[in-house]
Amino acid sequence: MKELRKWASEQKGIMAAIFILSILLGAVIVGQSYFLVHIIDEIFLQKASFDTIVPMLGFLLGFMLLRPAIAYVNARCGVAMSSNVKRRIRAALLEKWTKNPVQTAIQGQSGSKITVLMEAVDGLESYFREYMPQVVKASVVPLILLAAVLYTHVWSGLIMMITAPFIPLFYIIIGLKTQKKSEEQLDQLAAFSGQFLDTLQGLQTLKLFGRSAEQRERIQQSSLGFRDATMKVLKIAFASTFMLEFISTLSIGLIALNIGLQLVVFNSVSFVSAFFVLILAPEYYAALKELGAAFHTGRGSLGAAEKIKAELESVSQPVKWGSRPVPARPALELKQINFQYSGGFALKNINMKIPPGARAAIIGATGSGKTTLLNIAAGLFDPPEGEVLIDGQPRNLFSESSWFGEVSYISQHPHLFSGTIEENIRMGMPADTARQDIEAAAEKAGLSELLAELEEGLDTKVGEAGRGLSGGEKQRVALARAFLKQPSLVLFDEPTTGLDLKTERILQRSIDELARRASIVTVAHRLHTIQQADIIFLLKNGEIEAAGTHSDLMKSSEAYRAMTGGGAAG
Amino acid sequence: MKQLIAIMIKEKRDIWLSVLLGAVAGLTSVALFGLSGFLISKAALQPPLYIITVMAALVKFLGAAKAGSRYAERYVSHRATFTILSNLRVSFYEKLEPLAPQIFGRYRSGDLLARIVGDVETLQNFFLRVFYPPLVLVIVFLSTIFFTLFYSVWIALLLLAGLLLTGFVIPGLLALRQRAVKQGIRQRRADLSADAAELLYGFRDLKLHQTLTEKHAQLLHTADLYVKEQEKEGLSAAGGQALNTAAAMAVSFVVLALGAYFVTIGELDGLFLAMLVMISLNIFDNAVPMAVFPAHFEDTRQAAGRLFSIAAEEPPEIKTGMLEQKETFSIEWRDVTFTYPGEARPALKNVSISMPAGTKTAVVGPSGSGKSTILQLLLDMHQPEAGDILLGERSIKEVRPESIWSKTNVMLQANHFFYGTIRDNLQIAGDDVTESEMKESLRLTALPFGLDDPVLEKGENLSGGEKQRLAMARLFLKRAPVWLLDEPSSSLDTLTEKQIFKELFKKAEGNTLLLISHRLTGLEKMDQIVVMEHGQVVEAGTFAQLMAKKGYFYELKQIEKSVLND
Repeated sequence: MKELRKWASEQKGIMAAIFILSILLGAVIVGQSYFLVHIIDEIFLQKASFDTIVPMLGFLLGFMLLRPAIAYVNARCGVAMSSNVKRRIRAALLEKWTKNPVQTAIQGQSGSKITVLMEAVDGLESYFREYMPQVVKASVVPLILLAAVLYTHVWSGLIMMITAPFIPLFYIIIGLKTQKKSEEQLDQLAAFSGQFLDTLQGLQTLKLFGRSAEQRERIQQSSLGFRDATMKVLKIAFASTFMLEFISTLSIGLIALNIGLQLVVFNSVSFVSAFFVLILAPEYYAALKELGAAFHTGRGSLGAAEKIKAELESVSQPVKWGSRPVPARPALELKQINFQYSGGFALKNINMKIPPGARAAIIGATGSGKTTLLNIAAGLFDPPEGEVLIDGQPRNLFSESSWFGEVSYISQHPHLFSGTIEENIRMGMPADTARQDIEAAAEKAGLSELLAELEEGLDTKVGEAGRGLSGGEKQRVALARAFLKQPSLVLFDEPTTGLDLKTERILQRSIDELARRASIVTVAHRLHTIQQADIIFLLKNGEIEAAGTHSDLMKSSEAYRAMTGGGAAG
Repeated sequence: MKQLIAIMIKEKRDIWLSVLLGAVAGLTSVALFGLSGFLISKAALQPPLYIITVMAALVKFLGAAKAGSRYAERYVSHRATFTILSNLRVSFYEKLEPLAPQIFGRYRSGDLLARIVGDVETLQNFFLRVFYPPLVLVIVFLSTIFFTLFYSVWIALLLLAGLLLTGFVIPGLLALRQRAVKQGIRQRRADLSADAAELLYGFRDLKLHQTLTEKHAQLLHTADLYVKEQEKEGLSAAGGQALNTAAAMAVSFVVLALGAYFVTIGELDGLFLAMLVMISLNIFDNAVPMAVFPAHFEDTRQAAGRLFSIAAEEPPEIKTGMLEQKETFSIEWRDVTFTYPGEARPALKNVSISMPAGTKTAVVGPSGSGKSTILQLLLDMHQPEAGDILLGERSIKEVRPESIWSKTNVMLQANHFFYGTIRDNLQIAGDDVTESEMKESLRLTALPFGLDDPVLEKGENLSGGEKQRLAMARLFLKRAPVWLLDEPSSSLDTLTEKQIFKELFKKAEGNTLLLISHRLTGLEKMDQIVVMEHGQVVEAGTFAQLMAKKGYFYELKQIEKSVLND
């Protein structure tokens, strides 16, 4: 709620406009009633001619048409406010994500992030588009109507004042009760409502076991159970509206009786005043009821606001960069690196030296921090402690663009963007990169056969709306990106499972080729890769347990022997 | 739409009761305002006091009646709505059941089911928001119009015009506009969602190729377009509403002006002027639900269209052949070719495999090699384009799929578990399965569960390995003579896998068994290993033969060996 109010308070101009419009609306209702009453009075009691009321009819029509006009402008304000807030929040979220690499790099959370960006932000709409304008309107209008009635006829005004608090009070009491009741029924409701989907999802299983026909009963039972549980909750809600309607009807009846008596018996009030009050009273109670209903409208946005708040409040640690260009074929060094994030994976006291052109392999059990290490080496995020050195200089002295110009990262699951294969290989390269160069890169990455099979070759659309490529094919596109870029550092997350033979061979050959002009750091799973490495880092629980060449480690490290030996026997 | 009404109309009593109560609520409200207008006019004429008392009592009575009938209307209409929902689900299930599981193959999108459930849920609005509001509206208006006829034909006609305008013409026009706008919103929304997915899933690649800023800017632009489109919808809705109120106001204004004129020329008693104006000002409240009518109408129409088109699918041709075998039988693939609908490359190309009765066959190959398609075809979920599959002596083309399913123990890659208990999920294997058999089955699959342990929706409280073991436990209880298993142990560790395979082979002794496997371990005991790539059989033979041959299988095995077990 606090967040929502804060975002609303940023929209001061619109809120002020809504406030003024609400005052206007109250005035218009009063004006409309005033002229209506006077016209009828003139015609009915004063027996005036039609001509005398024409000017008043003109005013009345004006007021009557002003009402929807104001409502429309008010709605426009609500729409504008919700658009402003949605724009602002989406921009803030995106800003956060693009500048907050650690969070974004945790791939598993991407799905929930998209939900926040889409559903949660859209979930704010009802609050800003409906609730806020409604609340302002429903708080201002009754006050103006009350003032008008008090001015005209004090007694009626007093009745209105005394009865008014019962309406919001009832809403609150009943709202709480319904909420409690629905919470009690929540599990039951969820179970009942999920049953239909559950059965449909299991239809294949049911069929294979020959048990699908009897499910009809089960669906009916659970649906009726759902009905009965829901009705229990709804009954309270309906009873609340009943009570509210009853209260307002009773109050109006009271006012009517009072002015009726005063009109007939005591002659202490004029027809005009009496009728005026009688028209305003229902408007007054209707506005109050709207205020109560508004609270229900606003509720829905609370959960959405919570989700957005959590996302915006997460800590961000942008990577720092400088302005120096990265030298050709740099040496890379990680020095005393410590790292941990909320997921719990940590790196402790990491020291690694990768001379220009070297081939390094990182091995270790799942969860030992290998991928995190690769991400730090890539410059995707800064370690909170420790340093990354390029040719002995801290990396934050060098410029971001010259660094990323020298790095390629071939992950286990490279992302293909919507577009053609060519665009996917070209990614980020200068616009004048020749088509031949792309073709050459694709060929080196072993894509020629696939491209020949495709009618449109390099121009085949891939990604979301296009053709799906297999995991092996995607990795080959990532390789082609690397061949085109010709980096001096290649980071490679080797597949954990066996691929098809062809991709296996292509990967090996390509890495050998890239190694001719680049240093290579591989998170390795294949014995072959490890044996080829100039230096192997064995990671255990975030620490480097052993480092050296294959023969060094075979001699010195028990853990290494166990790991590689186990692999060979597996 | 017709089918929908047929299902709905089953709840006749509640439907007519809702309409009746709705009409009473609307009419009492109109009467209340009319009466108060009349009352105040009458009072101005200094009538005897008892008239005022009687009428004031009448006002209170009408007020109570209005609140009471509104309550009853809501109650009955919602109860009817949920009963209709139940009827819809049952009726739709009855239509869908014979089509499954083949239909899931035809609609390859995973969200088909969620869509069905969503569409059925949308249809519940049909009664509440589409069917009965116009009925109530028309009844209330016509009764009121009939009443006003006694005072002035012209005013009655005015109200009739107002009914048409606010109840039908304006909402209809608005709906036409909204339809186009909604289409735009859906499009923009899909764009934004896709762009956001690209940014988040492709973050690393974007960053490394220095195209992140570009993508960020593009995403902001897409987000802006989406908001603009939503804005259009909001404005057109607000515009429609304002227009409707303006129309109602205009009608009431003309009622007043015309009424006043009639009074001055003596055609109408001034006593009734306030009453007619009050009626007119109030009656248009009844048209408010019509504002959402077109949108709901459109939604339910589309949902019904989609649902009934699925339900209207031809059920698979009913075959008469049955598999009579009590014992196990052979499976013979003869030159089978198959392509998934909408794909260019065939998933299986000239596949011939021979599985004599009682033998054990493994099919291996990288993902996408077509090995799972083998199972789909065996279960008759898809039909071969060319070639034939023989089950025992009979062609699969003439055998009822139900008969295949009942003769086989099938384990798919994704196995469904139902909300309930472990017992519920095991009992599916057969009504005659006893408690001790279930317990034994759990023991054999090394599952530490009790029979009354809960299983959540889709088995989400079970790990991948537990799901596979529970599926296996369920299969152990089925006792069919042929086993068809698609990667039954992919989530198990080597040790558990070994143990469960030991039990499996005991259970399947003498039975024909087909095992589709991603891993190459533990295949030494199989009578035959079939290696597939790109939908074709590359080689086949026993483990020893294939290793000796040093062909494709041998090389795969070498790679698997060299991959570290970490």
